[in-house]
Amino acid sequence: MTNASVTNGLDAARKQEIKEIVCDILEIDEDEVTETSLFKEEHDADSLRAIEILAALERTQKVTIDQAELSRMVNLEGVYVVVAEAAQH
Amino acid sequence: MNASISTDARGHSGPQGPRPGADGRRVVITGLGVVTSIGIGVEAFTAGLREGRSGVKPITAFDTTGFAHANGCEVTDFEPGRWITRQHPEELGRASQFSVAAARMAVEDAGLTAADVRSRRSLVSVGTTDGESRDLDQLVAVGMETGPEEYDPGVARRVPASRLSVGIVRELGLEDVEAVTIPTACAAGNYAVGYGYDALRSGDVDIALCGGADAACRKTFTGFYRLGTVAPEVCRPFDKDREGILTGEGAGILLMESLDSAVARGARIYAEVLGYGLACDALHPVAPDRDSIARTMEIAHRNAGVTPDRIDFVSAHGTGTKANDITEAGAIRQVFGADAMPRTVSIKSMIGHSMGAASAVAAAACALAITEGFIPPTINHRETDPECALDCVPNKAVEAELNIVQNNALAFGGNNAVLILGAYRSAA
Repeated sequence: MTNASVTNGLDAARKQEIKEIVCDILEIDEDEVTETSLFKEEHDADSLRAIEILAALERTQKVTIDQAELSRMVNLEGVYVVVAEAAQH
Repeated sequence: MNASISTDARGHSGPQGPRPGADGRRVVITGLGVVTSIGIGVEAFTAGLREGRSGVKPITAFDTTGFAHANGCEVTDFEPGRWITRQHPEELGRASQFSVAAARMAVEDAGLTAADVRSRRSLVSVGTTDGESRDLDQLVAVGMETGPEEYDPGVARRVPASRLSVGIVRELGLEDVEAVTIPTACAAGNYAVGYGYDALRSGDVDIALCGGADAACRKTFTGFYRLGTVAPEVCRPFDKDREGILTGEGAGILLMESLDSAVARGARIYAEVLGYGLACDALHPVAPDRDSIARTMEIAHRNAGVTPDRIDFVSAHGTGTKANDITEAGAIRQVFGADAMPRTVSIKSMIGHSMGAASAVAAAACALAITEGFIPPTINHRETDPECALDCVPNKAVEAELNIVQNNALAFGGNNAVLILGAYRSAA
């Protein structure tokens, strides 16, 4: 299954909502981030920020995300995939 | 700030029998008070350490619905009214109840009365991570459900962290006293003991009640849980399959005085405080730094006037998380050498992580180990992590004649404190 087919489950509004959450936590403007720009390398995130993102997504998206998924949540694209998968469970 | 501050500047010199190269009075521990999940009071706690007792059980301090696992090391047989007699126990939060009870025990254990302490210049210093966060949990819950107008005024009055030390002052009716609560998180117990050591050594006070206290609370459990650092079942420090900490609670209070004072009154001496080292690196909110931990140990050794080869065992911070244990073991290897690592144990395997109380309770354990001649075990141990590669005295205590022991405490923010205790053997 490709990333695109998985994230089809997320509509544009939901992706935008997730993007806003991530940008808020990383303290960056939305035009600074792309779907593939890396949180850690390009946006100065550390492990605590990553957990903060995970926690915020669980709360707002009503999903449960295993902490092992953090290794895939390195950019917006990865986050969309993980949230979409979690939403299917 | 370190242990060698300004004793000369304060004009105190020439006490009886200072160690070579050290100024100031010698400081000894003559009373212990402990509240832990494996035993309350010296006798029960010592037996627990020797047996390798486990304090783990399902958490009852708060509703754990929604957490996939919720074990902890709570104190379940604590009767505050037994120790707190000059105040209403309900006027104190749970952490203050622990600290006051432990102080009462320490005074009694030292063969003193409250009046004895009252008649001297004294210091009370208590370290903590959470203060009375257990009460704050409750106030926040009430605030969310109804609103601040429904706050219980009695609970609100218990919240200030200063109550942990002031509660002891009130209980013992102390007058010529300095009372401080030291909020340096998981290293706070060692900080508080170190502060007492300085005050006694310089002659500022004649008796010191020092240690740490914390009560299990939802906020702290949730924080560690969210970080992915709470073990599902048990705490296995230095084990290759370790899964994290278990949150705990309790208090440890050490009664300290000058060696002269202890000898003059014929007191039983558990151990001498040889010195301590502090080094806050502030490098990362939660990740420990090996070099910084090594530096803290080196400062402690220097202040205590000891070399690494003289350390008989290390009471590790040893939380049981992946990051702590490997980093702490690496720092010990760096300071002691890979071929000369002392036995390194974690009593958190038994009592969990009691936060600000942890290093104070561990200091009490070190003093008891010296007095009773045994090294407490690291329980729940199956296979040592090759990346830690140290002798953690797995599962069974060992008998040992101990001269010098080291007590590590490492806190978030890289706020580290290491205490060195030594056996006191009278010249006679």
